[in-house]
Amino acid sequence: MSTVESRSASTAPPATGPEVRRAPAKRPKDFDRPRFLKVYMGLFFLLLFAPIALVVLFSFNSSRSLQDFQGFSLRWYETFFETESLRDSLVASLQIALVTMLIATILGTMLAYGLVRARTRLSSSFNVLMLVPLVTPEIVAGVSALLLFTQIGLDLSLTTIILAHITFSISYVTVVVRARLASINREVEDAAMDLGATRFQTFRLVTLPALWPAVLAAGLLVFALSFDDFVLSFFTTGESPQPLPVRIWTQIRFGVRPTINAIGTFMLVVSVVTIGLALLLPRLLGRRESGLKVLLGREGA
Amino acid sequence: MTENRFASALLAPGGLWLLLLFVVPLGFLLALSFGYTDDLGEAIYSTRLDNYERLVDPDFLPVLFRSVGFALATVAICLLIGYPVAYYIAIFGGRWKAVLLALVVLPFFVNYLIRTYAWIAMLGDDGLVNGVLDSSIRFVNTPYAVIGGLVYGFLTFMILPIYASLDRMDPSLIEAGKDLYGGRWQTFRHVTLPHTMQGVLAGSVLVFLPAVGDFVAASLLGGPEEVMIGNLIQQQFQASDNWPFGAALTIAMMAFLMIFMLFYLRAAAREAREATA
Repeated sequence: MSTVESRSASTAPPATGPEVRRAPAKRPKDFDRPRFLKVYMGLFFLLLFAPIALVVLFSFNSSRSLQDFQGFSLRWYETFFETESLRDSLVASLQIALVTMLIATILGTMLAYGLVRARTRLSSSFNVLMLVPLVTPEIVAGVSALLLFTQIGLDLSLTTIILAHITFSISYVTVVVRARLASINREVEDAAMDLGATRFQTFRLVTLPALWPAVLAAGLLVFALSFDDFVLSFFTTGESPQPLPVRIWTQIRFGVRPTINAIGTFMLVVSVVTIGLALLLPRLLGRRESGLKVLLGREGA
Repeated sequence: MTENRFASALLAPGGLWLLLLFVVPLGFLLALSFGYTDDLGEAIYSTRLDNYERLVDPDFLPVLFRSVGFALATVAICLLIGYPVAYYIAIFGGRWKAVLLALVVLPFFVNYLIRTYAWIAMLGDDGLVNGVLDSSIRFVNTPYAVIGGLVYGFLTFMILPIYASLDRMDPSLIEAGKDLYGGRWQTFRHVTLPHTMQGVLAGSVLVFLPAVGDFVAASLLGGPEEVMIGNLIQQQFQASDNWPFGAALTIAMMAFLMIFMLFYLRAAAREAREATA
């Protein structure tokens, strides 16, 4: 008994100052979290969301006022959905976003595969070609698309908007899908080929299933971006129907109107649902990874 | 079919699309920038330099300088606001990282017009703040309002790359800095900041590029004294209907921004190489 005690006493670290004993009691990350940074984050999020919260709140205001809330009502939503031209605009916006999503996702995914796997001298030029639209100010794309369409005699309509949107959405899809593709184990594809699968079968049965989360997330991202886009639509739209953001622009220029609050809130819901779906998607597909990582292209290899 | 052939075939449709609908239109724009409008207001292709000479006209030169000035101010403010946010999320985010990041990204998916309009509703001459304070403070139609609108519009582009570079950084580096008796500020200046410079530069370019070309903030939040190059371009293609001059403005802006675009593309290419290597 006494020997055990003495042995344990001898192996125990020598008792030192209070610093050593205090260390393990604290969570490691907490040791120097400055209090002011926490306050700063609170203020930051407050200012970030205050204007948006205001729009949402006043979309339910029963009066025209933007200064005091006089009671709950849905009248601005009624105005929105009962005005035929606004309803047409909503449908147009949804159509544009849907078609853009479908075509851009297909083209972008193919481009991503080509960029990662093709070994041609053209690859690096294609890579630049794909990245440049991402850093080009939208107005440049807008006016050049407008110029192209008038030069080839294409009347401005929903079609021209969609063409412009697709051009700018391909790159987003490619970037997201490519990051995913780079993290896929090539040997699985080689194994499929060894087992007699053709190149196309391997792509369809092995590569594509692994890519799905990224492809779908990128598609939803493109849907949200297209649905919200103003600048490209503004330059390539015909007379009617015009997509919602173009209508909002016209209305804001005529002054602040309460209907805008309702349209804005509705668009917000569509975007948030779309992006939320993109973020939750991997989970919905039964994978244990976060959608944010898929979208930011940084899932573990 | 070899893998190379198969992959190259998949490159074609997207590549061709971008060539036809992105590069070719820019070619049209370049060609038209040397043109002129005839007496009927019709745009004619030509080989004149008049449009470019007009850029240095005292009517337009201040607009170009103002655009760059506003964009630089936007970058600086985004950096000051965004760095601490990215820092907090990356270093102290813990299991809330994803949620905090999502919260930062979320406003970006609220339509840009609606976000700008929300500030008018808050700070306009008869907006909420003036209503609550019963005051008549002039926020809108000032340069500050335009810069504020640009900051609110593009802040996310600053936070995400800085966050990414902080996230990549080994946190023990900070601890090492502290072990070497570096104060909080010294550690930040000599360890954290140099390690995240890539993110800072990428974020700055990603904010600068759209800010220079923006016309929404200046249209809605500014007056005639806050006109930016984007507004000039938009006017040429619509109200004043002088497409050749609008084309020259656009090409000149692209040429100026090219330096920054190339910088970003090189950084992106390097990152892609590191990712696939």
